[in-house]
Amino acid sequence: MGYVAVKGGTLAIEESIKRLKYERLKKRVVLDCHKIEGGMRCLIDQVMSESSLYNETLAAMAIKQAEGSPEEAVFLMRAYRSTLPRKHYSRTVESEDMLVERRISASFKDIPGGQILGAANDYTHRLIDFNLNEETDEEAVNWIREYALENVVDQDKTDLTNLPKVLNYLREAGLLPSCERDNREPDDVTKESLQFPTSRSERLQILTRGQTGAVTSIGYIALRSYGALHPTVGELRIGKLPLHVDNPFNEQNEDEDAYYIGEIKVTEVETLFPEDIQKFTGQKEIEFSLGYGICYGQNETKAIAMSILDHCLETGNPEYPTHNEEFVLLHIDSVESTGFISHLKLPHYVTFQSKLDSVRKSKKGQVGQNMESNEELNP
Amino acid sequence: MIRKKRTEILIKGSPEVSAKLAQEILTVHEVTTIEEPNNSLVMVKVRESAQRSLFYLGEVLITECKVMIKGILGIGMIKGHEPVLAYNLAIIDAAYNANLPETNEWANLLLSEEVKIKEACEALNNKILKTKVNFATMDV
Repeated sequence: MGYVAVKGGTLAIEESIKRLKYERLKKRVVLDCHKIEGGMRCLIDQVMSESSLYNETLAAMAIKQAEGSPEEAVFLMRAYRSTLPRKHYSRTVESEDMLVERRISASFKDIPGGQILGAANDYTHRLIDFNLNEETDEEAVNWIREYALENVVDQDKTDLTNLPKVLNYLREAGLLPSCERDNREPDDVTKESLQFPTSRSERLQILTRGQTGAVTSIGYIALRSYGALHPTVGELRIGKLPLHVDNPFNEQNEDEDAYYIGEIKVTEVETLFPEDIQKFTGQKEIEFSLGYGICYGQNETKAIAMSILDHCLETGNPEYPTHNEEFVLLHIDSVESTGFISHLKLPHYVTFQSKLDSVRKSKKGQVGQNMESNEELNP
Repeated sequence: MIRKKRTEILIKGSPEVSAKLAQEILTVHEVTTIEEPNNSLVMVKVRESAQRSLFYLGEVLITECKVMIKGILGIGMIKGHEPVLAYNLAIIDAAYNANLPETNEWANLLLSEEVKIKEACEALNNKILKTKVNFATMDV
């Protein structure tokens, strides 16, 4: 059977796109992108992280166009990103330089610098606030003014740009092996197709841009069923990281000659996994290994799940699919997974007709065989 | 003033400061635009803390502009879509690169802007530090 070229869908497609616009506008209300940017912080963070492109305004526009569908918004952002040249690489960003807005540890009550709750849903009742239905811009302005005027007792001199890391404390105490800086240039999954086994830099890049739901679900699988891990969050911190770009006309790449270009908000998690280690003496000792998670914006669940998967993939236990890098890394990208699922909607007329022909032939063959066998039974 | 500190003050500070300094140059010197403000990407390289290796976190949208004053190039780079600020930053950068006499007078203005930035940052820090937990051991 040959392929058959058909046409005739253009008008229908044009009308379908009009229907899509109608669905967005039918309540005769237009969403202001500034309001999306102002009020949809977490969705914007999720879209920026999954699209691997940091810009709140673009994310707000994509969310508006996608009518709030994260997968569609991520698709739009990735498509836009592909039209732009990448002109620079940042200088290496060190998370010790973060201006911390939230920082907690589940491992230690008393950590140097203290537990700083910042802004989080964790301490709310999770009851719908029906007053929000009547909330006005004026009320928001008044609340912000009053909040700014609240008395602040300026006694705590903690430097939020220089908070010590819990991991460093454990390393200094000899409870974690010390670790030298590894300055090898990272691989880039946006430039080269993935080959297995992957490098650590490729794994972390794919995990950080993974779909939030997928990363969370596979992380949950690793906790609950396959490996039954129970890690402890050594440190979770949210804050702003400064970005610098080297002077392109100074080959010596001096730190002080770099351009400051702004800051990005990220969530970073370091997770501790207790493990039984058999010593030469035959005795078992408990040691800690580490998992690392980081993502754009405030998305704590994703960052924790990423740290679990980082540990799983580093361990690589063949018993569990969550430790299999092909299983994890090839299935968590938003555009790849939703794209492949969505392609099932596309016309498969020829392949389906081919399958149908096969079914008909085999049915016909069965009928013929049945008739023959009936004749044998009833000569 | 070194570029790293200067660009941080100009970006974190009021956009009026960069506009004022750029205007000062524009009124006296001929500024040639080499590259109009345009959007591009910066790939962010991060060091993770588990094995202290490097990887790419993702890209950031920036606006970049290049200008020339007396044959000396200046670059303006800023996160986001900020064409006016990128242009002003490029002019200021070119002015410093060309050692224009106007730049000798700018240090005090930039330092006073830095003080304002620090004050705003301290106010924010104090608000954040109000969320610090003060553990008290309970008598059971």
